[in-house]
Amino acid sequence: MTAAETNLRTPRIKGRLRTRPPASIQRARAVLLGILSVVLLVAALVLVVALLFRVASFGPIVKNPDGSTSLGVFAAIWPAYVMAALAYVATRGYRDRRMWAFILSIAIGLVLVIGAAGLLFGALSPGTGGGSAVTPAASGAPAASGAAGGSGAPVSSVAAGGSVAPVTSGAPAASGAAGASPGASGAPVVAAAGTKDNGNLAFGMGILAMFFLSLGLPLLWSLFKGRNWFLNTESRHPIKTAEEIEAESGGAAAITATELVPAGDGGNVTNGAGSMPQPVTHTGDPLVSVRGLKKHFPIFGGILRRQVGTIYALDGVDFDVYPGEVFSVVGESGCGKTTLGRTLLQLTPPTDGHVIFDGYELGDVDPDDMRPLRRRMQIIFQDPFGSLNPRMPVSDIIGEGLLAQGVSSRKERDKRVEDALEIVGLRRDYTRRYPHEFSGGQRQRIGIARALALSPDFVVCDEPVSALDVSIQSQVLNLLLDLKRDFNLTYLFISHNLSVVEYFSDRIAVMYLGKVVELGTVDELYRNPRHPYTIALLSAIPIADPRRRRRRLVLKGDVPSPAAPPSGCRFHTRCWLRERLGNPERCVTEDPALRPIGAAGHTAACHFSEEISDTVIQESVEKQSLVETAAAAE
Amino acid sequence: MTEVISAATPAGAPPDRDILLDVRNLKTYFKVLDGIVPAVDGISFSLKRGQTLGIVGESGSGKSVTALTVMRLLDIPPAEIDPGSEIWFDGREILGMPIDEMRKIRGNDMAMIFQEPLTSLNPVFTVGDQIAEQVALHKKVSKKAAWDRAVESLSLVGIPSPERRAKQYPHEMSGGMRQRVMIAMALSCEPKLLIADEPTTALDVTVQAQILELLKAIQERTGAALMLITHDLGVVAEMVDNAIVMYSGQIVEQGSVDEVLVEPRAPYTMGLLESIPSVEKRGGRLSAIKGVVPSPFNLPPACRFEPRCPYHWETCRRVPPDLYLAGSSGRRARCHLHTAEGAARWPAALEAHRQALTMGRTLPVHEVPQETHDRG
Repeated sequence: MTAAETNLRTPRIKGRLRTRPPASIQRARAVLLGILSVVLLVAALVLVVALLFRVASFGPIVKNPDGSTSLGVFAAIWPAYVMAALAYVATRGYRDRRMWAFILSIAIGLVLVIGAAGLLFGALSPGTGGGSAVTPAASGAPAASGAAGGSGAPVSSVAAGGSVAPVTSGAPAASGAAGASPGASGAPVVAAAGTKDNGNLAFGMGILAMFFLSLGLPLLWSLFKGRNWFLNTESRHPIKTAEEIEAESGGAAAITATELVPAGDGGNVTNGAGSMPQPVTHTGDPLVSVRGLKKHFPIFGGILRRQVGTIYALDGVDFDVYPGEVFSVVGESGCGKTTLGRTLLQLTPPTDGHVIFDGYELGDVDPDDMRPLRRRMQIIFQDPFGSLNPRMPVSDIIGEGLLAQGVSSRKERDKRVEDALEIVGLRRDYTRRYPHEFSGGQRQRIGIARALALSPDFVVCDEPVSALDVSIQSQVLNLLLDLKRDFNLTYLFISHNLSVVEYFSDRIAVMYLGKVVELGTVDELYRNPRHPYTIALLSAIPIADPRRRRRRLVLKGDVPSPAAPPSGCRFHTRCWLRERLGNPERCVTEDPALRPIGAAGHTAACHFSEEISDTVIQESVEKQSLVETAAAAE
Repeated sequence: MTEVISAATPAGAPPDRDILLDVRNLKTYFKVLDGIVPAVDGISFSLKRGQTLGIVGESGSGKSVTALTVMRLLDIPPAEIDPGSEIWFDGREILGMPIDEMRKIRGNDMAMIFQEPLTSLNPVFTVGDQIAEQVALHKKVSKKAAWDRAVESLSLVGIPSPERRAKQYPHEMSGGMRQRVMIAMALSCEPKLLIADEPTTALDVTVQAQILELLKAIQERTGAALMLITHDLGVVAEMVDNAIVMYSGQIVEQGSVDEVLVEPRAPYTMGLLESIPSVEKRGGRLSAIKGVVPSPFNLPPACRFEPRCPYHWETCRRVPPDLYLAGSSGRRARCHLHTAEGAARWPAALEAHRQALTMGRTLPVHEVPQETHDRG
């Protein structure tokens, strides 16, 4: 399928956002911060103990009574603080992909590992280590300035610390302190232990070394894994303007044409936006473009909780939503419509595919860059009972989003909450009430107020009325339409109620098992459906008018499991048209692509759309039998 | 008239032979800490053999409680049935019947299909066992014969390879299949009355169509009467002969379904029909019933729909309306518009309704729901 066939243009990219650091980098950052806290804690403890019991002298270098010199407590600890400060600075630089942050982290990791190696080496061979060391703390050799401990170790450059200079000893406080203390023979308490029992000391040093290894190695490893992210210079800068992108790549379309054509193409990608036909109804840029969006959920099972399968909730969805329209997604439960809404808003990361919101691609965006966009796209949830926290008053429920967006003044927040309440037809003084004090319709209004408080451009309405009674349902629908008009909103309306959708929307996408099977304007889709599933769905709507009673086209069986979707056309197991055409092989082997049919903008994913006519439908209705309807469920 | 309501039969006397179910002045209350909830407040209706009756209403209108009272499945207390209530089933009064007698009828002569098939089936028995248990209990047949009967009723509801399916557990089946099993179970003893409480609410629209077609076909084949409880006016329109519209525990309108849905006489029914979204109303606003269902602890003094009614006047707040005859024979509506006093207002109301049906009604922007529901 080429892009041209689907009527979808390559979306225009306005700018690029910073991407979120890869998992390895995030891990590195967390590990570093962990080390920081441990190091600082140990250092502080040593200081306190030293001060309280006066077990050690405080100067950088202390003269012992026997004339030798050893490290003072401060001398041992301050490198730890330096390390800590450096590590903190390094984590700050991670998100912006600063190369120095990368190098600094590598250095810290190396120091930790080398320090640990020194400790280990010194502890395991106290004799040689101690003997060859020129430090004044020779007696306590294993520990003394950890890294330097084994002067025979290959780290002699770092082990300049073999001299008394504690800076280059590099080992963070714990090693330094632990090393210095026993080394400081002037310190009576620890020194006694150190000199008396080298075996114990070696054991302790070993433990300490393992500790540092366990921190230093993961840090190095994760940075090694994430090095591409640091070293890849492209898109290192925050939001780029379209001009910049154009200047870099020589044409805005070219940069995206290869990645953003709809999924499922056979490789014959046509380049350049100009050649593709536009949908007649819309001329401007779409507000939201979805290309090849996939979301697969793993199924875990067995004793070991290994992955035993995959749910193909969304399996390649393409569409555009234009500003000011109501774009509806209909389908039965399990067809992926809710997942579509959530994935589109990046509430759950897509497995594959692209979502472009107002010219910015949303995949894997850094949280700081995402936040201003999140304000512009909101969601109204289906269940007015489950989606409001029962422990929060209305002011907090609605105000939470404002707080996240940086409206920190309580007064300002409360005012905006009250405004939102008023807009949705609730009283201003409801702010201190809790959700249980409201009826279902009122709760849904609170959910709407929560979305609206941030003045969004784009709202995903996930079955906003399906939990409500008929008489309340129309109140909420009216409200949604008023808000759309007053605040110039664009809706993605998710529903299984086809009569609501018909009244409410401009364009409709019909989904079946994670794919869009038909897409078109309301009038086209309802008057001239061109996919057998759409026809059956429309035929199944009960109409509240006895004068329009008619025989339905009843589908066989149930929706197949999205964990094992049928091959080829996913609808072929229940398709009445396929049966009528004598079960053509093509339906089983070939996955039909969305292709234009009838009026402009109307697309359907069926190999045999042209075969559909009123007489065909009528004859199929006549032929169906009751028992057959369950047969396909086998 | 006797089609739906049996006001003519004196209290204590059995109804005509062709009337299978006759509910007279049924009142079911719940005594709770906060007070008394009149869940069903004096409803009367009757159902002829082989006919279909639809009970429509929003949540809290008392339609499910009506069904459970007829089946005598409510726990007493907290539920309490007014001593003046009578339910005649197949020529016998069942409310005063000893519970052992009732057990022989329940599941045998009258059976119920529940809304949520997953919670209504026992997860630790195969579906065949569950159906056969009921058959063995009521029909005094051997285990083998009961099992055969179970398999037979599974095939009756269109389940393919019923022998194999009968040995499966509920969790091995899809929602539509489970609902078929529920129907098979209800049918296994060839009941005279089938009560279906929202049988398709939990199902998808294509599966709903399957189940509705199935219910229709089965009713044709077995000649059972069907009492269909639903909130979906579309389902009612396609399925039933007569319809009852309930609001706040009372019947507000009754008549044949063609009349009720095409020419509604009670403002509540009119409002419901107006609020259904349709393609003709595109671009306009939907006409909505303002406000919310009143709290059962704090019911309006006279007409219960009065606070939400667009046609109400002073009398509506003072005099509780009765089920007045409205229009053609057998039509009744609980509204003062059908008394001599309100007759003058009726043409205007009808005109407004017709307009609202086609183009939606112009209401003030963001109609604020009335606060009838605070801290109930």
